[in-house]
Amino acid sequence: MAADVHSKGVTWDTPNGNLAPVEHLPNSRSESPTPGLVEGTEPGAGQERAMFVHTQSFEDLTADVELTGSRPSETEEVEEKEQQREGEGGGGADTVDEPRQDVQAIVREKEEDVTSETWRSHKKHVFVLSEAGKPIYTRYGSEEALSTTMGVMMALVSFVEADKNVILSIHADGFRVVFLRKSPLVLVCVSRSGQSDGELWRELHYVYYQILSLLTLPQLQRVFQQRQSFDLRRLLAGSERVTAGLLRLLETDAGLMLNATMSLPLCSTTRNIVCTSLQAASSKNLVFSILLAGNRLVALIRKKEQHLHHTDLHLLSNLASSSSSFRQGEGWTPVCLPKFNASGFFHAHISYLEPSSDLCLMLVSTDREDFFNLSDCKQRFLERLKKRNAYQALKEALHSPTYPVSQVGIPELWHFVYKSKSSGLYTSPELPVPYRTEEEQERLMELYQYLHSRLHHPTRPLRSIYRCTNTENLLAWSTSGFELYLCFSPLATKALAMSAVTKLLKWIRKEEDRLFILNSLTY
Amino acid sequence: MTAMRVDAKVVMLGKESVGKTSLVERYVHHRFLVGPYQNTIGAAFVAKSINVGDKVITLGIWDTAGSERYEAMSRIYYRGARAAIVCYDLTDNSSFQRARFWVKELQTFEEHCKIYLCGTKNDLVEGDRSARQVDFHDVQDFVEEIGAQHIETSSKTGNNVDALFMKVAEDFSNSAFELLPEEKGVNLDPKKNSYLYTCCHH
Repeated sequence: MAADVHSKGVTWDTPNGNLAPVEHLPNSRSESPTPGLVEGTEPGAGQERAMFVHTQSFEDLTADVELTGSRPSETEEVEEKEQQREGEGGGGADTVDEPRQDVQAIVREKEEDVTSETWRSHKKHVFVLSEAGKPIYTRYGSEEALSTTMGVMMALVSFVEADKNVILSIHADGFRVVFLRKSPLVLVCVSRSGQSDGELWRELHYVYYQILSLLTLPQLQRVFQQRQSFDLRRLLAGSERVTAGLLRLLETDAGLMLNATMSLPLCSTTRNIVCTSLQAASSKNLVFSILLAGNRLVALIRKKEQHLHHTDLHLLSNLASSSSSFRQGEGWTPVCLPKFNASGFFHAHISYLEPSSDLCLMLVSTDREDFFNLSDCKQRFLERLKKRNAYQALKEALHSPTYPVSQVGIPELWHFVYKSKSSGLYTSPELPVPYRTEEEQERLMELYQYLHSRLHHPTRPLRSIYRCTNTENLLAWSTSGFELYLCFSPLATKALAMSAVTKLLKWIRKEEDRLFILNSLTY
Repeated sequence: MTAMRVDAKVVMLGKESVGKTSLVERYVHHRFLVGPYQNTIGAAFVAKSINVGDKVITLGIWDTAGSERYEAMSRIYYRGARAAIVCYDLTDNSSFQRARFWVKELQTFEEHCKIYLCGTKNDLVEGDRSARQVDFHDVQDFVEEIGAQHIETSSKTGNNVDALFMKVAEDFSNSAFELLPEEKGVNLDPKKNSYLYTCCHH
């Protein structure tokens, strides 16, 4: 039967002594003592060591991709596209990504005719194929129907590789076709959003890591070593929702762009009780205890010397939210944290504190027999939380998972994203009225992504950028301590924007207890 | 250990989308969720107490994912199980072939595990006889051959669902419970579990 594919020596367990490859440990904190705010002293900086692996930004994700020369006309290009999009903006009938009906949407997307105009008009396609050119995943339509298309993609890749070269991207007719080669897989993104190649690579990396998190790298390599024409869809069956959720998240969640996590605003007393209760509910093989409210972090406890990577946390959080099965009982699943160690599985106990609650507890262990131990940890955590009267406070905090930007007291400021680099956490107010619709939300994200890609340009990075459009004025600023993206009303001036930064930083400093997790606890 | 006591470990096995989760959902929460199909990721555990005569038996039900990806993992879910509910979809013949695979697997590795073959989605074949792809008598023959039990259920209407789990609990109560007077409740550590079987049955 089909069982032979992974019977041979799969490493289900991560050897305890060797949890992280050495190079993943945060050994290089940025040392630039530039004027302004130095890392570690910015608002929101952790008081002790950071709980996350230190990442600059998406350089870290794309470090192994060689980005080639500069593109002189980039700025104009983006402006131009923006106008195009404004032109067609009213229609907006091209996507079916309704978050509330996402599941039906996925089903519909899979049945979509790949020769139809609607299929062609999707803003962003993502394809995954094997080196034999066999389809593994497509975001829209069915894989079978696309075998010719994917064959062409593989032909392009091989053709360039035959000359000892690597195909990175093709720009044509308002489209960008971006290739990511991760043997034994090839990932391709076809996009007509204004995103830069770097941003699209980052998204493809996420899809790649998503696949690794289900299979581990050795298993992925082994199945293709055994048979080059292996149909990987067999092993990925049932993960379509997870991948679709991830792609959706990449379009809406700034945390995946910034390599940072947003924490749930919570008063510091409650947070401390939650953290210490979680810390006390430990078990021998536990590596990470993560409490999430939706995609917001409430508490993270880790084993000494072990750091979680943001990518892994986003993958975990997406995994939990993409199946309702965790609400029906206690979930127990192998999961690979690819940035931590791509070669082995952890075992995650995933459950909601209450069936109807948004509070999801993930306990990550190295031992696959640990289920009942971890189930017990959860009970102890919950009991302690209730005994210390923090559970009610925590549930109340869920009613206001975000805050209006008006709290800052700058009338022209519409929205902002602030990332503290040393803690790896970011904060952002709720989206104000002009950005409540899905298209506008995506448009704002794309503007931020554009600023982000300019700040982190591989050859010509900027420290700050001020940009005016018809509908808003934007400012982005990166120091060694923080990264800040601001969105102002179009009537705001540059001088006002600059003074707003100071005021905002003061406000964040004042609120940092509530907005950030300042203590990083270990077991 | 303060965790719940589980008397009998019950594992749900079968091809993906045959309705294992729906069956558990109907039994434990008395509901049938209409809506798009949701894959189980890994496995989900839920404990449920049931009255058998004057005894209370807690079934620890492991609802496993049907995806092939988790196949190599499945042993940790069914190891030490007292009962396995192997599900197949009455309207899908390939799911019955898959069920045969699980039966073989269980016979090889868990000889003390009672097998219950469960044909799901009974409501679909009741309305439309031509929808049936797995013949009742064929399964009956197979079941007799392997010494298992056979039942057809519908999680949508609730037909036979309680009866199935009741049967599992009764069978457990009649067999192992008396054999282990000292050791009421199966030790929760699956490693010791298998040890416990070897010393009790041989």
